[in-house]
Amino acid sequence: MDEILGSLGPILQSTIRNATPLIFAALGGLFSERSGVVNIGLEGLMLISAFAGVVGASFSGSALVGLLTAIGAGLVFALIHALMTITFEADQIISGTAINLLALSGTGFLMVVIFGSGGTSPRVNGFESVAIPLLSDIPLIGRALFDQSLLVYLMYALVPTVFFVVFRTPFGLRLRATGEAPEAVDTAGVSVYRMRYYGVALSGMLAALGGAYLSMGLLSAFTENMTNGRGFIALAALIFGRWNPIGAAGAALLFGFAQAITFRVDQEAVPIEFIEMLPYILTIIVVVIAGFSGRSVAPAAIGRPYRKE
Amino acid sequence: MSEERREQEGSLQSRIIQVIIGIGGALVFPVIAILISFVIGAVIVLATGNNPLTAYSALIGGAFGSATGLGRTLLYTTPLIFTGLAVAVAFRAGLFNIGGEGQLYIGAITAAWLGVSLGGLGVAAIPLALAACVVTGFMWGAIPGVLKAYFGAHEVITTIMLNVIAINLAYYLAQNPLRQQGPIPGTESVPAEVRIPLIGIGLGRTNYGLAIALLAALVVYLLLWRTRLGFRIRAVGLSPGAAGYAGMSIGVNTVLALAIGGSFAALGGGVEILGVYGNMDVPFVANLGFSGIGVALLGRNHPVGVVLGALLFGGLNSGAQEMQFATDVPLQLASVLLAVILLLVTATRLVEFIIGKRARALAGARLEKGLGG
Repeated sequence: MDEILGSLGPILQSTIRNATPLIFAALGGLFSERSGVVNIGLEGLMLISAFAGVVGASFSGSALVGLLTAIGAGLVFALIHALMTITFEADQIISGTAINLLALSGTGFLMVVIFGSGGTSPRVNGFESVAIPLLSDIPLIGRALFDQSLLVYLMYALVPTVFFVVFRTPFGLRLRATGEAPEAVDTAGVSVYRMRYYGVALSGMLAALGGAYLSMGLLSAFTENMTNGRGFIALAALIFGRWNPIGAAGAALLFGFAQAITFRVDQEAVPIEFIEMLPYILTIIVVVIAGFSGRSVAPAAIGRPYRKE
Repeated sequence: MSEERREQEGSLQSRIIQVIIGIGGALVFPVIAILISFVIGAVIVLATGNNPLTAYSALIGGAFGSATGLGRTLLYTTPLIFTGLAVAVAFRAGLFNIGGEGQLYIGAITAAWLGVSLGGLGVAAIPLALAACVVTGFMWGAIPGVLKAYFGAHEVITTIMLNVIAINLAYYLAQNPLRQQGPIPGTESVPAEVRIPLIGIGLGRTNYGLAIALLAALVVYLLLWRTRLGFRIRAVGLSPGAAGYAGMSIGVNTVLALAIGGSFAALGGGVEILGVYGNMDVPFVANLGFSGIGVALLGRNHPVGVVLGALLFGGLNSGAQEMQFATDVPLQLASVLLAVILLLVTATRLVEFIIGKRARALAGARLEKGLGG
């Protein structure tokens, strides 16, 4: 019993750490999809930003510069997705898939060009854990919640902020309306194109925070394909959370918990390959439940390019 | 008499013109996408301090300039035809199959297992093992189909998750029940008689797996355009509502399209094992399934286009090795070019912007048909 209670704190801490990149990416996906643009490229946006963050931090020696570089890279590649899908009316899923492939091959290419070889980049200064006085002393949950990287605290702040922006501001209303009824938004004199560009651009910057947390929070280096499907899991969290930031964060915590548990499973008893499958099996189950219970009702105009007549 | 004949000739002429316009329309998007990606690639090569002309001539020469290069190109082309077909069949039903990677692993581990355990049968083990790949791939591919048709789970997410699951499952089998003796992880090698024979004539390791791939493309053509099942799959893709009114089951055809796609990708995995590698190493060759998405889209989800797309992808990957040798541009440039092509290939308005509205209308109509809604 003591052992279970003793391991609860570390499991919770690991849950938060694993959920953080998923939450950032899911919040990003929320802005894009609420505006009516599917962003299956979250995976690639995270990967590119994780790499850009390490490049920035490695050349400047500063984690903050690295973070800004990551956000810049996420923004640029999100705008490519926006240009292709909103302006040039490319298929949104195909463009997102292309962004993912571009991220994988592009970071592989740049690893060789910049760091001389593939695999793992040199170590950089990341965002170390900072314990908040008093709060981190709360038994059981204190260390788990309040002895984390600065980026985790940023995530705590962003979830309610995004909720407020999307559901309580005129900008959020226009964004949601653009995803539901673009013709009506157009009639009201608001540019559908501009709202969608905002949505996709925000998704790139938020996914970038998730990527930066991977390479500069969880680890302090970039490794090839380090996102390893997290962008897609974030998308599943978004669907299960009904395109609501609080729901998405809850679903991401569930996935984070599944990953935290897998680190603790006895590898003698269960082969490593099966342990590694678990979060992905859970994702499928969650998507099936979301679909079956009618929870997954996407924004009405999602996936369709808008053309002003 | 002459009147009638002239009329016939006239209709023949207009049909030929129609076919030419049709083919031209189908080619507009891929050709523009390829050209733009090569321009972007040239800028990247310049940025690395190399001469784009040197790099590209090494790339093209490496892919098609010699028998060895051509052999390597065809060797790389073969699995991409299979994974491209896996995406194309599903796309015709309006479904996006990103599961080719995992489906290929399922076929590969099936062939690695049966190639050894049926090894006593000699040559007869080849068709048996490949047939088993078709079956396991069908079953694996049916999973996202069932989840989509009866549980509403989006196939893009489920197929991606199933990739990781399939790869781990194959690795578990390769490392435990099927593991070879000795320190190197992987399955036992299949006996020499169970290997698909090489074509020879200086083409290196290129084997008759290529012929199986071309046959598979023909089968897909006949299936989609000459059978009732194919008609239903395309009808569901073009207009699920209308297909439903006509009494076709959207659910059944969804499952079948993804399952049939899965069997082609798995067959490709089996051909890689029996034709190229002889066993499944851990880690096994990666990204053939993902490249199949690009191949299918570039080929407009038509079997002929898939073969051409696979040849382009295979050629770029093959030539990239010579390019890296001749210049110091990393061979990943080939994958970057392919990603850019994929990014551009469905950008309808970009083409309109470049070639004008009328040409786009022709090409666009075909594109929308090809994508199946």
